[in-house]
This record gives sequence, C-alpha cells and structure tokens, in this order.
Amino acid sequence: MNLSPTELKAIGVAARWYARLQSGIATDADRAAWNDWLLADDAHRQAWQRMTAVGEQMARVPGGLAAPALRGAERSRRQVLRSVLVLTSAGSLGWLGWRSETSQNLFADFRTAVGERREFRLADGSSLLLNTDTSVNLRFDGRQRVLELLRGEILVTTAVDPMQRPFKVVTRHGEVLALGTRFIVRSREHTGEVAVLEKAVEVSSAGSASTVRLQAGQSIAFNATSLGAIRRNDASVGAWQQGSIIAIDRPLAELLADLSRYRTGVLRCDPRIAHLKVSGAFPIDDTDLALAALESGFSLRISRYSRYWVNVSGADGRGHSPR
Amino acid sequence: MSSNDLSLRSAVNDLYCDHHGWLNGWLRKRLGNAFDAADLAQDTFVRVIKARNALEIREPRPYLSMIAKGLLIDLFRRRSLEQSYLEALAAMPEAQQPSLEEQAILLQALMEIDRLLQGLGPKVKQAFILSQFEGLTYPQIAERLGVSVRTINNHMAKAMEHCCLMQIQLQLA
Repeated sequence: MNLSPTELKAIGVAARWYARLQSGIATDADRAAWNDWLLADDAHRQAWQRMTAVGEQMARVPGGLAAPALRGAERSRRQVLRSVLVLTSAGSLGWLGWRSETSQNLFADFRTAVGERREFRLADGSSLLLNTDTSVNLRFDGRQRVLELLRGEILVTTAVDPMQRPFKVVTRHGEVLALGTRFIVRSREHTGEVAVLEKAVEVSSAGSASTVRLQAGQSIAFNATSLGAIRRNDASVGAWQQGSIIAIDRPLAELLADLSRYRTGVLRCDPRIAHLKVSGAFPIDDTDLALAALESGFSLRISRYSRYWVNVSGADGRGHSPR
Repeated sequence: MSSNDLSLRSAVNDLYCDHHGWLNGWLRKRLGNAFDAADLAQDTFVRVIKARNALEIREPRPYLSMIAKGLLIDLFRRRSLEQSYLEALAAMPEAQQPSLEEQAILLQALMEIDRLLQGLGPKVKQAFILSQFEGLTYPQIAERLGVSVRTINNHMAKAMEHCCLMQIQLQLA
C-alpha cells in the first residue's frame, strides 16, 4: 500500500493535533477545534486512528521501564556508532583514547564474549589467555611490546625477545612492566589488579610517579592515583585458568558478583544473605552448575525468572522473591 | 529455471565458496564470538541472495563487509537495548518486577518501540521520552531542555508523524 498525498497530509495534521492535545496545556477551544477537524473528513478519522495506534504501542511498556531502557541504549549506541563511522573512514580507533570504551571493545584486536576463555600466541612467542568478557589491543613495534587491556582479565606468559624490547600491559589505571614472567592483570571499572605467578613485574599507577616491584606469589590493587598494599596470593588467584572460582570464606554477594562475570543477565543476591560466608570450588564454564552447588551446599534457594534473571535467597524464607 | 537464474545461482555459490570463510573471520574478530559471527555471515549471504545482484558485484569483500557492518550495527542495537532494559529491570523495586512471561513480552514491545523511534534526532527523541514515558507536560519539558514550549510542540508533532509512518512501513514489511 502506498499512501496517497491526501493520506500523508492527513497524517501530518493528525500528528500536530495529537501533539497539541498531549501537551498538558490544551484548552477546551483546542479540543473543540480538533473535534471539528476530526468530523470533517473520513481521511482525518483514519489518520487519527493511526495516531492512537502509535499511542497504544507506547503504552504497552510501563514508562518507568521504557524511559531508562531507551535512554541507556541511546547512550551506548551513540558511542559505538560514532566509532563505526570513524572506522570506515580512518580504519583506526586509536585516537579515540579511553573515552569510548564500548566501541573499543567491539573492535579490539583480541576479544572474548561473556563466559568465553581463549588463548592466543603472539608474534614474539609470548602467550595471552583472555578470561571472560575481555578486550585487548596489541601494540608491538620496533621499540616495545605493549598490550592495552581495555577491559577484563588476562594471563600473560612472556617469551624472551631476541630484540630485547620491554613488555608492558597498559590499563587505564596504570601499567605493568614484565620482568621475564607469568602474571595476571585485571582491569575493573575503578581499579586494576596484578598478581604475579612467576618471576617479577613492576607496577605503576597512571597518575603517580611511584612504582613497586612485585615478586612471584604477590598481588596488588591500584587505581589511577595510587598503589595499594602488597598481598600474598592464595589458591583462588588465577583459578579461572582451570575453569573455576575458588572461594575461601567469601561473602556470598562477592562470589555471586564474580560468577556473574561469566554469565549474561542479572544475578541478584538477597541483601539479607549477602554476608553469608561460603567456601568451595565453583565451575565457571557452567555457572548453572555452580549455582546448583551453592543451592545444595549452603541451603539457598535459586529462583529463575528467565535465562537473564536469577535470584538467590535463603531457603528458609529469608528473603522473598518477585512474584 | 532460466539461464539467468542459473548463472545468478552459480555467482552466489562462487561468492559463498570464495569469501564465506573470510567474512566469518572478519565478523568473529569484531564480535569475539563464533556463534554470532556464523549467524551474521549467514544473514549477509541471505541478503545477497535476496538482492539478486550477485552478478554485478565487482568488489566482493568490500561489498560483503558493507552488508555485514549494517547487520553488526542492527545486532548491536538490539543488544544495547536488551542490556539497558535488564539494567532498568534490576533497578525496579522487587515487588514491582514483572513475571517471566511479562518480561519477554515487554522486551518485545520495547524493541518495536525502539524501531519506531529509529531515525529521530536525539533532541526530538528526548522530548518524546519525557512526554510519553515520563508524563511531563510540554512546559515542564521545555524548562528541562531549555527551549520554548513551541519547540517541544513541534518536536512532538514530528515524532508522532515519524512513528506513525514507521509503524505503517513495518506493518507492510
């Protein structure tokens, strides 16, 4: 069906009436004039019916849900679409810097999806294991070997470089210089973390001049302005390589937050049991299995509302769930 | 089947054999996910078959990647909406959270709304959301956005016309 010029015009006028009547300041005179217009022609009534169909469509989603959802989507898209345009013209996203993180992730050199884990061998013989939901850019040149960790977590095993170029992992919070070694770097929203498994690394925060040398068995957290205290690694460090999370007396909420890195959707913990201490090894390649283990081992109740929505509450009625 | 159909078919076939693997890799690198990449590669060739122009394609890889880029953006549109929908759901008080069935229906409805709004300028869209989903009057919206009531009225008329035409178009498709 092609719309005739009359129909098109009627739709335009109907849209103006609809807008006027929805303004919250329409007068009785407005309504009377609209009524006259409506009764004047069949085409007007048909066009008006189309307006109300649009209004009905909008009313199918509660406003309190639709408004934030549409706005949030708009925000993330604006970032990505901009970079897609840049990509087609310039072929590189490098100059965008850290600002548009989402778009960088989408076009990073190495990337894993949520729940995925993958190993890459680099040109210099080093190897790179990406944990879930991770993006890395590679910047190797004649002078240095640099990995940009955009988000997520990596295990790096460096190889001896015949050209003796330094090997660095750069995150937005700071840098890690490898000193012939095996280490893990994680970039979180507000902090970075490094754990050394073999040999040593040198860690520096993005905004401060101080550096610290970290030996095998040690780890540290840092943010853009400072370095944290050096801690000793325990069994839980790097357990993801073998496909599990090891918890030793960890608050349930923390463990669930960690598990949710490996699955899409919402994993919600009832606040009343958030501090419950749990221990054990939980598989990350099958997080449903991990949840089942929690359910039986710690008498919790796992309620599923969709593949995207899981609620964890106490089995004895501590914490109620949505209907 | 005409000889024209036959040569078209063999052109598509050649295209598929020569470039499917490459396209798959191209998509995988961007998506970081083999399943989505395979789906989009398949969809790309479906588009080519439907367009019936395989014989005229001179630069197959730029052409395929152009289609694939469009599909990539569509996929990203859907994913970004799904993600922000989930976040909006999670922010709701527990007692108001919809049931499983309702959630699926709401997401579907939201995707349709999103399609109707596609192509509207950011200012028009913002005014529309404030009016239709947050129930603000035009004077309130005007104040918040720092423009005149008349401008809001124009934005809303434009948005309604746009949504109406989109709805007609989508019903026909």
